[in-house]
Amino acid sequence: MRESEEQTQLRGVLRDFFGATPRGFDKALWARMAGEIGVQGLAIPEEYGGAGFSFADLAVALEEAGRALAGGPLLSTVVLAGYTLLLSDDKAACRQHLPAIAAGTRTATVAGFGGGELTATREAGGWFGDGHADFVLDGAGADLILLAARTGAGTGLFACEAGAPGLARQARTVLDGTRPQALVTLRHTPLTPIGEPGAAEAVVERVLDIGRAALAAEQAGGSAHALDATVSYVTQRHQFGRPIGSFQAVQHRLADLLVEIEAARSAAAYAASCVAGPPEEVAGPPEEVAGPPEEVAPPPEEVAPPPEEVAGPPEELAVAAAAAQVVCSETFRRAAEEYVQLHGGIGFTWEHPAHLYLRRARSAQVLFGTADDHRARLGALLGLTEHIT
Amino acid sequence: MESDEFRAKARAWLATVARPRPADGGWGTGEDSVAVFENWSAEEERAHTERIREWERLRFDQGWGALGWPAEFGGRDLPAYFEQLYRAEEAAFDVPRRTEIFPVTQQLVAPAVRIWGTPEQQRRWIGPMLRTDLLACQLFSETEAGSDLAAVRTRAVRDGGRWILNGHKVWTSGARVADWGVAVCRTDPAARKHAGITVFLVRMDAPGLGVRPIRQMTGGASFNEVYLDDVAVPDTDRLGPAGEGWRVTLSVLAAERLDSGSLGLANADRALALARNLGRPLTGGEVERAADLFVRTLVQRLIGRRVTEALVAGREPGAEASVGKLYATETMRRTSDLVVRLLGPRAVADTGEWGTFAWTEHLMGAPGYRIAGGTDEIQRNILAERVLGLPRDPSR
Repeated sequence: MRESEEQTQLRGVLRDFFGATPRGFDKALWARMAGEIGVQGLAIPEEYGGAGFSFADLAVALEEAGRALAGGPLLSTVVLAGYTLLLSDDKAACRQHLPAIAAGTRTATVAGFGGGELTATREAGGWFGDGHADFVLDGAGADLILLAARTGAGTGLFACEAGAPGLARQARTVLDGTRPQALVTLRHTPLTPIGEPGAAEAVVERVLDIGRAALAAEQAGGSAHALDATVSYVTQRHQFGRPIGSFQAVQHRLADLLVEIEAARSAAAYAASCVAGPPEEVAGPPEEVAGPPEEVAPPPEEVAPPPEEVAGPPEELAVAAAAAQVVCSETFRRAAEEYVQLHGGIGFTWEHPAHLYLRRARSAQVLFGTADDHRARLGALLGLTEHIT
Repeated sequence: MESDEFRAKARAWLATVARPRPADGGWGTGEDSVAVFENWSAEEERAHTERIREWERLRFDQGWGALGWPAEFGGRDLPAYFEQLYRAEEAAFDVPRRTEIFPVTQQLVAPAVRIWGTPEQQRRWIGPMLRTDLLACQLFSETEAGSDLAAVRTRAVRDGGRWILNGHKVWTSGARVADWGVAVCRTDPAARKHAGITVFLVRMDAPGLGVRPIRQMTGGASFNEVYLDDVAVPDTDRLGPAGEGWRVTLSVLAAERLDSGSLGLANADRALALARNLGRPLTGGEVERAADLFVRTLVQRLIGRRVTEALVAGREPGAEASVGKLYATETMRRTSDLVVRLLGPRAVADTGEWGTFAWTEHLMGAPGYRIAGGTDEIQRNILAERVLGLPRDPSR
């Protein structure tokens, strides 16, 4: 989990880049991100037009994007859709979609992952989809939607192009405007299957875990911004004739926040390292994807070895991703609220960016399950829900 | 050496000298003590210390102690995190549990001697301390110098080639078994608070030195008061320059914070084992609390790893160390919370059942670590001022 020199450089480049650009989505910015830095293609293998780096490198970009609340639909396009394609083992689909994602010329998202009523049926003319999925990230804007839909043979993955007949996308009014969501409805909409329909359950689960790891990196970045901005403000702001940051009541709150953020960074970095190496390795054969639950609880000593040893078996990722979400969701919420509180009146104004972080923090808390969902999953993974007599 | 190879070798060696712990951690059998501070009589403390000492000597003599130290001190010159790797392997074996005096000697005092000691002192003390032939305790706090340690009043007055010490120290763990005490003394009352301090190593059997146990709130006594009444210390036992004792003290305190990151982990693991072995299904709330505690143990280990990595990279892990201690004391509190929740009445009334009422030692001991080794509040001051760079509180 040590940051490499290249990652530190990447972080510096991205901080400058995002620092000089407006928050939220901007098509020109998206193209520059791909053209000047190659963010979208960082973890996409070279054979699909990417740079072939690891998820840990992508996590650096996500952390910086989270810090700036910038970057456009990075999470939906690069993480969710990108890893769905890579894990699907469908090389033709990868060849078709990944180069455009890496080049920043197409955006994509996923729908029906962890909720929704989507079905796909095979007819003479091919596959057709029906039903709906709600809360689809960037659902109204994405050029490509990858669906998880029920088929007669089990869950299948399908590609649905923007503008496909029968596809309706209704943007939801959202708390966090930097992360749009939509209700996506299909009525006899033509779909292209990705991989063999029926075996997508494990891919969906793993993509969600990767999404949780990615979100944790964003949350760690957002939290770090809140702390930095607040430290800088309380150092300058004077009341009672002294900087408010010299009051112990303020100092200790920020010290506690620092502790939380160090924990969040550690948990996020660990989850990223569990997604592991180059994406080719991530896309293991399906039988590896669904590990037996008994093997899930890693003995605590296994956490101690140096980073090179942290391989990435799927069950370890499930634990690490859930743990990272428990820690990072709460940390970001707290950081954003301290951001507002310690800025006093100015922090409660529309002009000040603090509320944007609180919006992101609250919306991130429920994105891939609530903290209680993650705790329940951990309970099952750790064997706490079994009754041993 | 690669870490995999090292771990395998450590495991192989351990198998030749110790019994492996049962695979399920031996739930329901054997020792069920989860004491944070031991409640031992002087005789028990001596006996346990001897047992641990024997193990430490064996480890040292066979090349598995002092891993990060240079060969001249009997070490193997390995990167700092190899000690962690070794510990991870050792945890699977039934070896004596180290009491406070051992990390104090090996992780706090020996490194300070390496930084501040003369070549003669290093030869005389470091090897024997790493082998635990010599044990050293801290003579730091006083009744009027707790968090404000630099306010120490124990006086040391030069008398030719020696110093005469007079004063009263408190909260010394291991004073009854230690051979040496590291005493923070005021040598120049006219100098500014932090400038008039000098550190000495004092023989604990020196004439004029008296030890009296402090009965702490757990009911037992693992700390002591130490009285210094005209204790003579040769100048050759002065550690670091006269008047520079505050810097010497700070190196020991930094090492202490560094060493505190793994506090409470063993008991937290044990509380999770309790949750799995409770003999009834957990409620949803209990599962959530247990999952939270698991997450804390995971994160605490990760933070510990960052501290080690900072050391490996040659950086001083300032932030990580205070973060680690604050995180650890909170883990201990949450462990108490979970255990009381899980055990209910059996946590507070002794039914004689294995692994139940024994937790009271954790419940009553855990608050001690929020105070020992720099209170939680002092750790927050350190983080606020030295790490976040916030303006100093003008009242201090």
